[in-house]
Amino acid sequence: MSKRTITLNVNGTDHPVQVDSPDRLIDALRDQLGLKSVKEGCSTGDCGICAVLVDGKLVNSCLMLAAQCDGRRVTTLEGLLEDPTMKRMQGSFIANNAAQCGFCTPAMLMAAWDLARHSPEPSGDEIKVAISGILCRCTGYYQIIDSVRQGCRREPR
Amino acid sequence: MSTLEAAAYTRFEWMKFFNSASPLSWQTVSMPSMELYSPTDLNDALRFMEHGDRSVAVIASGTDLLPRMRKRQASPSVLLDISSLTEDLRYIRQSGGTVRLGALTTVAELLESPLFDDRLSMIKEAARLFGAPQVRNVATVGGNVCSAASSEDLIPVLMALEAEVKLLSAKGGRTMPLTDFIVGKRETALEPSEILAEVSFPLPQGHSWTAYEKLGRRNMLIIAIVNEALSLTLEDDLRTVRSARIALNRVSGKIPALAVKTGGFLEGRKVSEGTIAEAQKVLAAELSLTSDFRGSGAYRTELVQAYLKRLMDRCSRKIGEAP
Repeated sequence: MSKRTITLNVNGTDHPVQVDSPDRLIDALRDQLGLKSVKEGCSTGDCGICAVLVDGKLVNSCLMLAAQCDGRRVTTLEGLLEDPTMKRMQGSFIANNAAQCGFCTPAMLMAAWDLARHSPEPSGDEIKVAISGILCRCTGYYQIIDSVRQGCRREPR
Repeated sequence: MSTLEAAAYTRFEWMKFFNSASPLSWQTVSMPSMELYSPTDLNDALRFMEHGDRSVAVIASGTDLLPRMRKRQASPSVLLDISSLTEDLRYIRQSGGTVRLGALTTVAELLESPLFDDRLSMIKEAARLFGAPQVRNVATVGGNVCSAASSEDLIPVLMALEAEVKLLSAKGGRTMPLTDFIVGKRETALEPSEILAEVSFPLPQGHSWTAYEKLGRRNMLIIAIVNEALSLTLEDDLRTVRSARIALNRVSGKIPALAVKTGGFLEGRKVSEGTIAEAQKVLAAELSLTSDFRGSGAYRTELVQAYLKRLMDRCSRKIGEAP
């Protein structure tokens, strides 16, 4: 099996990463770059817990080969910790008790942040669609939907 | 199959997946080893395929192939990664009366195109119910078509639009109707030296509309129990059917197919409750639908008849409303 060196731009910094052909993006992010906000759940694209942004688009990092991301821009939760929208979203998740076991929370925050970028006042349906690819194992969706709605608002009410 | 048999089938058939001879079939395992070749030029990709090696698989986004490789349902030793060939293979174009979709067009891009707002709105209906946002952002039209399984949402839609596929190889290209391209469950007419480059279909003309229905156990991120697509064209009187193309998934052999007889029955008839009721019977007799753990064939037959009425009503109402 051939190792190859690829360049991943992760959270604004270029990282040379050594990958095997079968390595997925999630393997490179967790095992080589130590970004543990990216969780591995089903590994088949059904639970969305591994969601990250690649070139600004939300994707499942378990369904992408790392080598296919050579030269692309990857954003994980770690890269958004100082982002004002993400801070607001985190605050809203905390205020609404939207995390029970917390396993889906990083992915939910990524999907919520992606939604907040595009729509400051999303409808209930828009929120449901935005988080539809992420499975909450504790079925706490109501709190999550409320949190996303509040977190999307730029001005607090 | 009687209703009772059908119910028993639905209840117990799924258990065979857990008694399967290979424990790998339902366990999540590691990715198998393979080599990856990522050309940046379409001609390089075609030359790589020239030898017709059957152990090579084409990968675009991988949303279908990678989980199947993990489960050892597919075991290519080399992957040809075409995801960088976006310049050649990612486009939505309309020229003359034809709509052309490059194989690498993503499902999310279908949702953004104004081309699918009016009479082609079933494309957006199908795209909206396709997977979930993370999947739609990367999953491609070409990948959906080449997977050739009854779980693929776009195939019935494209079949109802009488789509053609364009296949390229180092020696040249050929086109064929999508209905001929899909020859069996996960089997296509692709030669090992070919890749699918484009899906195209004629823009429906005259008094026409399209509609789509999908039923799954939930709305998002679900493989359908039934998908059904209709492309309907009426004569100038807005009552008589000029053409009706009905396509469904899970026809016997677990493949998507056109309901040709039902379409033919509707042609020349006036749209009415009576006509639709008769067409439902023709549809039930025409195609035998597969039973699996998602639903029995008997249940699916009931569903596709109900959806036929709904689709006919929706299309003829929209055609009537059009200016």
